[in-house]
Amino acid sequence: MSTFKQESIFTNYFYKFGSLVLFIIVWQLACSIKLAPETFVASPLVIVKTFLKWAGNGFLVKHSLISLTRAFYGFILAVAVGVPLGFMLGGWFKNFESLISPLLRFLGQFNPFALFSVFMLLFGLGEFSKVAMIFWVSLWPILYNASLGVKSVEPLHIKLARSMGLTRISILWRIVIPSSAAFLFSGLRQASATAFFMLIPAEMLGASRGLGWMIINAQINYQIPQLYTGTALIVGFGLLIDTLFKFLEAKVVTWRQDTGL
Amino acid sequence: MIEQHSTKGELAATPIEAQNLLSGPAVPPSKQQPEPLLRQFMGWYGIIGFLIIWQLAPMLGLCDPLFIPPPTTIGADALSLVSRGDLFIHAATSAQRALLGLVAALAVAIPLAIFLSGWLPRFTRFINPLLSLLASINPFALFPLFILLFGVGELAKFAIIFWSSLFPVLTATINGVGGVNPLLVKTAKSMGASRATIFRKVVIPASLPSLLVGLRMGATTAFLFLIAAEMLAANAGLGWLVHNSAMNNYIPRIYVGVVTIALMGLLLSFLIDRLEAVVLGYKEEVKTN
Repeated sequence: MSTFKQESIFTNYFYKFGSLVLFIIVWQLACSIKLAPETFVASPLVIVKTFLKWAGNGFLVKHSLISLTRAFYGFILAVAVGVPLGFMLGGWFKNFESLISPLLRFLGQFNPFALFSVFMLLFGLGEFSKVAMIFWVSLWPILYNASLGVKSVEPLHIKLARSMGLTRISILWRIVIPSSAAFLFSGLRQASATAFFMLIPAEMLGASRGLGWMIINAQINYQIPQLYTGTALIVGFGLLIDTLFKFLEAKVVTWRQDTGL
Repeated sequence: MIEQHSTKGELAATPIEAQNLLSGPAVPPSKQQPEPLLRQFMGWYGIIGFLIIWQLAPMLGLCDPLFIPPPTTIGADALSLVSRGDLFIHAATSAQRALLGLVAALAVAIPLAIFLSGWLPRFTRFINPLLSLLASINPFALFPLFILLFGVGELAKFAIIFWSSLFPVLTATINGVGGVNPLLVKTAKSMGASRATIFRKVVIPASLPSLLVGLRMGATTAFLFLIAAEMLAANAGLGWLVHNSAMNNYIPRIYVGVVTIALMGLLLSFLIDRLEAVVLGYKEEVKTN
């Protein structure tokens, strides 16, 4: 699809945003001429209005902060457990890894949604059950990618470093971590997406605050504008988190060449 | 004679060493021989050990057997469910829903993606940002909307599964067809192949790997969201089984449901692995460390 001819900025922007703008215009028009019934579909203008109202009265900040804090705690816990465990499994305890990896693979298969019932049972309805669920879903991508990353380290580099008399810690710091950074970051990115992703159902099932609660509450009370605005907000946050991690990845894993795929 | 032999051996060893330097680490000798029996079943020991610890912990009073029942209790409940045929009914209901949604999504996404990227590449480029935005919408966030639009019946569940598995398949297929090496198409064209032949003999086989990736992602998401949908609104199916047991505080049955769902997920990925092996039999295995 790439052309050798240099494209004008306008064409580039047209391809990047044209469909989105068109979609919003069509949506707005369909609502304006009553093609889409107001009882089911909120127009983009109504969504913006609701959004501004929420932004004004602090409703938005309150619920977003609660949701993001939950996702953050679960994610950080998963990083704190998953990265060292993955490094250990992939790097030092080969036998232990072959002993435990099928079990881990099976545990990773567990449907987080079904497990939420168990988490609620074990940890109650409070904050901890939601954090535990986010921990659980973001653990697997981090663990898996950390162990893959360690395995991808060129053994020659390690031998070389060892023959030059580097200590174990500096081998870890100077060779293992930089070599596996690409894998680590793709794990972190997947995990961050999953963490925010599963936060919503967790809040829908058992919470009285947060973004997930916001939309389920809007549905129960049949508040269509609030429902659409909440959904749009969740989409926005998801995109924001993804962009943030892409940016971080580009900053940290600078040496990796773009394959252009 | 002996000396000569050893020199020969050294000479023969050189290319192998050179190859090792090029292609990374040498294959450790233990991987070339068939593995000893003890190592082959290593993974099973892990699972068995886990089960033993799980069994012993509630019995020794390390955790509350009411909340974490030992595997034997769970197994007994599973057996009673199986003997009454209930478990089979729930599993079949879930499988049927997932398959229906997945097949519908495949039937829409694959022809649409092939049509879009094969015939309308410019339009595909135009529409791609919108598609990726729609794909990035958390289907959970759409649950309330779907229930509002389609009610709490089968249609809502079908819509959720259809929607959530549509986008992975669509994106993967568009990428696959768009990513076919133009050289292959040009070569076929210069040899006088018709459009239909190029399509059938070049484009489809070349995009099969990414199509299968899409299928795998679609099937996984379909199954994930099926359970979620059944927990929100259903009166049969594995998701309902878990939810209902939780509501009635019948704890062993929650675990039965959770394990059954995990086993079905494993079965699903095994089936797709088999399909991949059959369809992509021509592909060479990429050797990783």
